[in-house]
Amino acid sequence: MQEVINELLETMMSNQVSVPVIQPVIDMAAQIPMMGLGISFILWTPIFALLICPGLSTLGIFLLFFPWIERKLCARIQWRVGPREIVPWLGGLIQLLADTLRFLFQEVIVHKDAHRPYFLQFAFLSFAAALLPLLFINAGDVIAIASPYGIQLLLALVCLFPLFILGLGWASNSRFAFIGSVREAFMYFAYEIPFIIAVLAMVILFGTSNPILIPDKWGIILNPIAAFTFFVGAAMATSRMPFEIPEADQEVAAGPHVEYSGIAFGLIYVMCYEKAYILSTLMVVLFLGGGSGPDIPGLTVHLGDLMGIVWFLLKVIIVMTTMFVLRTIYPRYRLDQGLTIGWGAMIAISLVALAWSIVFVFMQQGGVL
Amino acid sequence: MKKVTVQDQGVVEKAKCHAAAIGVAMKESVYPLTATVQYPRQRKKMPDNFRGYILFDPDKCINCWECAFVCPANAIRMKEAPNKKYYPTIDYGKCIFCHFCIDSCTDGALRTTKIHDVAYKDMDEMVTLTEEMIEPPEIVREDTKLVEYLIDDKDLQMKKTREVDNLFVDEVPPSVEIPVVSQCIDGASCIGCHVCEYVCGSGAISSSIANGVMNMAIDTDMCTGCGLCVKECTMQILKLVRK
Amino acid sequence: MEKEEQDRNMHILRTGVLSPVKRWSAKWSLWPCHFVTSCCGVELAHAFASGFDGERLGTLNMGISRQANFIIVEGTITRKMARALRIVWEQMPDPKFVNVIGACGQRGGIFWNSYNITRPSEIVPVDFFIPGCPVTPESLLRGVRAVQDKIALGKDETTIKFKKVALPSEVGPGSTIPTSPKRFAPTPLVKVDIPREVDWAFGSTTVNNLKSQLEGLYKSITITDKNRIAIKTAPDNLMEVARKLSDNMGIDHTKSVNVIDVPHEQKFILEYMASSYSNSDLMPVIITLFTDIERKAEPEFPSITPLWDSADYSEREMHDFFGVKYEGNAGMNAKFLLAPETQTPLRKDFKIAEENYVFDDSPLNPKIDLPSSLEMPAPTDLYDEAEASDEFIILVGPHHTGSGHLRWILRVKGDIIVDVTPDPGYVHRSMEKIAENRLYIQNVPLFERANISDPFNMNLGYVHAIEKALSIEVPERAKYIRTMLAELSRIGAFFYDSGIFSLFTGHSTGFMYVWAIREMILEATVRMTGSRCTPSFIIPGGVRRDISKDVLEMTGNFTSAVNKRLKKFEDIFINNPVFIARTKGVGVVTKQEAIKYGLVGPFLRASGVDYDIRKVEPYEVYDQLNWEVTTGDAGDCLGRYMGRYEEIKQSLSLLKQTVDALKRMPRGDVISEEVLGDYKEASEDIKGHLYHAYGNLVLPKGEWTSVVESARGTLLYSIISDGDSNVPHRVRIVTPCWMNLRGIVEASKGERVADFWTIYGSFGYFPPEADR
Ligand code: SF4
Ligand code: SF4
Repeated sequence: MQEVINELLETMMSNQVSVPVIQPVIDMAAQIPMMGLGISFILWTPIFALLICPGLSTLGIFLLFFPWIERKLCARIQWRVGPREIVPWLGGLIQLLADTLRFLFQEVIVHKDAHRPYFLQFAFLSFAAALLPLLFINAGDVIAIASPYGIQLLLALVCLFPLFILGLGWASNSRFAFIGSVREAFMYFAYEIPFIIAVLAMVILFGTSNPILIPDKWGIILNPIAAFTFFVGAAMATSRMPFEIPEADQEVAAGPHVEYSGIAFGLIYVMCYEKAYILSTLMVVLFLGGGSGPDIPGLTVHLGDLMGIVWFLLKVIIVMTTMFVLRTIYPRYRLDQGLTIGWGAMIAISLVALAWSIVFVFMQQGGVL
Repeated sequence: MKKVTVQDQGVVEKAKCHAAAIGVAMKESVYPLTATVQYPRQRKKMPDNFRGYILFDPDKCINCWECAFVCPANAIRMKEAPNKKYYPTIDYGKCIFCHFCIDSCTDGALRTTKIHDVAYKDMDEMVTLTEEMIEPPEIVREDTKLVEYLIDDKDLQMKKTREVDNLFVDEVPPSVEIPVVSQCIDGASCIGCHVCEYVCGSGAISSSIANGVMNMAIDTDMCTGCGLCVKECTMQILKLVRK
Repeated sequence: MEKEEQDRNMHILRTGVLSPVKRWSAKWSLWPCHFVTSCCGVELAHAFASGFDGERLGTLNMGISRQANFIIVEGTITRKMARALRIVWEQMPDPKFVNVIGACGQRGGIFWNSYNITRPSEIVPVDFFIPGCPVTPESLLRGVRAVQDKIALGKDETTIKFKKVALPSEVGPGSTIPTSPKRFAPTPLVKVDIPREVDWAFGSTTVNNLKSQLEGLYKSITITDKNRIAIKTAPDNLMEVARKLSDNMGIDHTKSVNVIDVPHEQKFILEYMASSYSNSDLMPVIITLFTDIERKAEPEFPSITPLWDSADYSEREMHDFFGVKYEGNAGMNAKFLLAPETQTPLRKDFKIAEENYVFDDSPLNPKIDLPSSLEMPAPTDLYDEAEASDEFIILVGPHHTGSGHLRWILRVKGDIIVDVTPDPGYVHRSMEKIAENRLYIQNVPLFERANISDPFNMNLGYVHAIEKALSIEVPERAKYIRTMLAELSRIGAFFYDSGIFSLFTGHSTGFMYVWAIREMILEATVRMTGSRCTPSFIIPGGVRRDISKDVLEMTGNFTSAVNKRLKKFEDIFINNPVFIARTKGVGVVTKQEAIKYGLVGPFLRASGVDYDIRKVEPYEVYDQLNWEVTTGDAGDCLGRYMGRYEEIKQSLSLLKQTVDALKRMPRGDVISEEVLGDYKEASEDIKGHLYHAYGNLVLPKGEWTSVVESARGTLLYSIISDGDSNVPHRVRIVTPCWMNLRGIVEASKGERVADFWTIYGSFGYFPPEADR
């Protein structure tokens, strides 16, 4: 028994997130019996990744503040102010808190035509399912499960989302939800292939699919075409403009979400941000050099692993903002146009990206580069 | 005649247009042309001729009922006051702020204010009695800044000043005064009912009997031209004419 | 019910340990359900667009009732819409709040005696009422604040406090209650073909021509005014005459279908107003084809639609109003505009409430008989029928982010639209009926409410008809002012439509940009007239008052200031490749179809017909200004939009020209002295004399028809006066949107589902204007 615990402790201690700057504090806390154990548990890399970053806490904070960033920025571009009066001197920073709480206390209506068990289950399931890919993503050197097939697993999990959305639409049993989910299914097929090919291109280029082993190179420079395909694919996957086809408010009244209210809707609403978050992290890892960044003298030494996380999050915010600001720039395509783009141009471009990677790798091996 | 044809965008053109659209978004996120008046804390300056809530001055009212008659929404109904005269009441649940009443009021008894932002909790409260229309009302205000929209030949400018706008405009007398008086156009038809004499508030109409024939006389100096007698005349033989 | 419901909502928020959190969050997260019910929606949009940005207060407009917790009822709730309101309210999760904006939603506003409106407070529990017509964005936000205060502080108070002042009490001579100023002739003489001497050479040749062609078919052919010819036929011959006109003279569309009820003569006068787009000489001429039929419960008459399809919807409308059955028209077995239970309301024996001028104890809120059931039955037979042929029915509206205030029934096969059935009338406020009961001057603000995004043109058309009847010549300065206002309003309406169009394609930035530009236009309007959207500024004989120099200056500046913002709009929306991909080649209406379905205005021109009333039958000073008509050939969504965009550039130049002319012109009369009669001195400013001068206006007997080019196309007013009453006997309004409704339906067939909204947006449809 004792051995098992010791061994566990050993593994834990050998795989800690190192943050030099707070090391003294940790050391001090380690003196206190249980506290020390707790802290090292949290700082144990897989747990840290799961609970802190890029996992739940970061996600939570993102969900609470990112929509605010989005709304403020869009409002600014649209010559407005955006949420403000709730705390004028902070520019309405906690607007989303109010919205979330309001949804929490609002009645959840299950209308009589809905398939009651699934109607509720899918709302919660889809939220939970969207969390899974977080296990395989790394922020800098911090990752929950490092697997040589990390990227593939992640992709597989990302591709689960549409299923849940279809489920939502099906369980709602409403005309608009039905059309919305059909549209979602169509779009799913359209972006899936180019999206996967784009990732594949990068995996070939890097020669590994273990996110942690991916070199700190900027994929966007090595293979800009793949980056473009990936970005457009991500916009399609998260139903961003100009591909907000399944949720088109003016056409199908938010599609699959149309019947949801209260906290059930709240979960679905944040799920779309969750999706965007996950795809942005993947984009950062594959194309923007993950947690790498210029060396800031003095800071890097002190922050240790945290530095990687900071760079990583910064990049994620930039990618996500870009993705969301698209809605101020573009109207929406029609379904058939979206499909044409997915099946036509996007596949073509993604194949070019793949070829590019292969040529690149050959040339590298041949010593040309 | 001008024919509008829209050319197809070529690839280069498309790329340019995408770039232009993205360019606008980027530019606006840095230097936006924000046009927002942040209402509860700021207030937009309205011109003096703004059509808002209506105030009433009983001293100037000549009881002509014209405001009630012209009101397209039938929002004005006349209420009998203690002095047996009828004064207007306005139902803001009907009023459409056309200010036809103000434009009909010969003597400027009705005038405008710049009040327009009001929320009622109850529909019955929206009927404003004459008593309530005399003094300027108080409204809930949270504004500390005044914003004025100015348009110069470049763009919309928002002039912000730290002041609390006065919502009450000084009375503007009717810009044109036309002196009118009442006149009998067909004395022969007069049946001598004396209605005109009774209604006249300024005592301009008098009657006399000579040779068994009733004669009504209108003193043009005393007549204020309110038109009441014209309205009341049983035989409809009175008319307002220019003095 | 009402009180309990409200208490229940507050009760939810006020109980439990978490009550403060609940209240705080509900206060800052009031999401209004986008329930556009009427014209007040325009100001609602302004309140949430860049000008005032309601989102600051945490109120995010949400299209879907399940996720919203706040309804802002925007004005009129008609009998048809009442059901929708109730359903939407019931769909929303607790706790929920309701504000009613606009006089229409309170005690009816200008439509207080309409047969088709209800009071929202009897349908749902209302928290706050906000007066105005339309309300200003500020007052709308004040309403939001009031609800917030109610939630957070439990403060449920009216935000205005009046001070009571004692009235004078010394008893003077007193005053009696005068009789109503309205005067109805007991047996009015209703004739639509009163001849008039006019200087119109072409007219007499045309009449001779007509006479020879229609030999034996007509009863009389009269010139009723310049460019107006009335042909009277026997009921059986009307169709034949119409066919002859169409075959021999190229008369190819109807402008209006009308029925006039003459109860004391036991007859209906049936009228078709027809004109031509193919024969350019006849373009300005309106031929009124009419016949008398017996007045009975359901008179029958052959429909003219086989010949002139453009009459279709108007015939259905007349069927609703008078019960005339047009045989051969497909829509004769159901109501089109009205709620199913309404009975032929435009017949003279259908009475509406009369004005009460005295404050007595008659009930403030007289009882309205609500529709018996507030349920909206699903058209099950339609579903079954569609299912049988492997089709799918989508009901869009009346509460849908992309429906406007009407219901569309889309029948789709896969992603292709097979058929579109419009279900209008959700904003039908019975203007034509109300107008018959009001003084001529009172109808000025009434007709303006048909379209508050294009108010000046709405005024102008009506006032023209009166001026035509009275043969009034308007002072030069007033003409320029009117032209300026009409163009300003055209520009405003275009930006309105652009905003809606961008929303329909999912582009919210486009909406915000043009709405900011509209804010500038409204600023100019408010300075000129005192009101943002409903100025009622153009009155018979001129305009209410002169416009001061600095406001003119500002309006002139607008024409150049707008460019900066317009350029950005162009870059981000108009030239956006995605927008072009969405609209090019979509919803094509060919020239023949456009004429056949009776499209009007810029949408007709986009299909290649060179017809603009401002050129064809110039009014005001359009013939003295320098501008061009714009047409196009494409006839698709993009063509329609770009055509209008080009037109707006012309309008900006027209605006500039008129402002410059006005600045040069000395101040002077703005109201014609002919109409003022004894009050000539009021010709610079009507203040103080409006009622004196206009209260007893009586038009000479006959039918007076005016057409103007409003922002969305031909606007026709036809006033029938008996020459004795000081209220019209009948007013027929044919608005451009009503005519264009058909265009949307026809253009959508065969397109994809998502294209329906692009087509809808490209037609600049404004439902209150169509429904009247
Ligand atoms: S402003 Fe218009 S609606 Fe209001 S009371 Fe005066 S006349 Fe009537
Ligand atoms: S007429 Fe239109 S603007 Fe006026 S209150 Fe009614 S809905 Fe609002």
